[in-house]
Amino acid sequence: MNTDEAALIICAGIAAYATVRILLEKNTLRKLPFLNVLSFAVAGSIALLLPHPLSIIAAAAYFIGSTLESNAIASTYAGGIREE
Amino acid sequence: MMVDPLHILIAAAVSWINFVTIDLIFRLPQQGGVSGAREIARQIEDGGGTLHGGYMMGNIVSSPDASAGTLLAACGVYIAGIPGGILAALLVYVGNRICHDPGYAGTTGALFATFIVYGFSLLGFSPAEFIAGMVIAILTIQGISAVYASRLLSILWRWSRA
Repeated sequence: MNTDEAALIICAGIAAYATVRILLEKNTLRKLPFLNVLSFAVAGSIALLLPHPLSIIAAAAYFIGSTLESNAIASTYAGGIREE
Repeated sequence: MMVDPLHILIAAAVSWINFVTIDLIFRLPQQGGVSGAREIARQIEDGGGTLHGGYMMGNIVSSPDASAGTLLAACGVYIAGIPGGILAALLVYVGNRICHDPGYAGTTGALFATFIVYGFSLLGFSPAEFIAGMVIAILTIQGISAVYASRLLSILWRWSRA
């Protein structure tokens, strides 16, 4: 097994683990850190699977989009944007 | 190149130290940057964790911080060397602005990580090991136990201010 395959297996394994933790956690806001781990693992997998310069943008766009969604979900649970 | 588990563990430790140090310098545990981060911290505290550790975890969830910078810089260096890492830092900067984060932890983390990953590649480490290492590093903070991770981060936050 070479290094790239091993890194991909680690990312995919952690993504699967994070998915299980998301499903098992009942509190929506406490799901979000696990979702964050899943986003890390998927963004890493995108770069490992597609080593092309545009993949940097794809991985970053995926990751930032996912972060923004988590941000929006958490802000909604906190009562919207009235504090900002 | 054959896989060396020790390299991946060293990469994970280096990534962990890089992002935790930069996040502490940029005072992520001090307060929630957005209302969502404050709410996540409150929920983690309700579940038995600590508030300041929860703020840092909430901030990591709510905007690309130094951990995201480290991951994306490792991806950038893996694909395109130092220019790839710089591009990743630029994208993290844009991401911070999109997420209403006024800070520079993500951009700084990405720039530091670019040179760390490149430096380690000269020592025989593959940037792919840093991608896996950073995913392991974020797993230890966000993915195992919010209670213990927030307590650890609170202890580090107290030390960093002492």
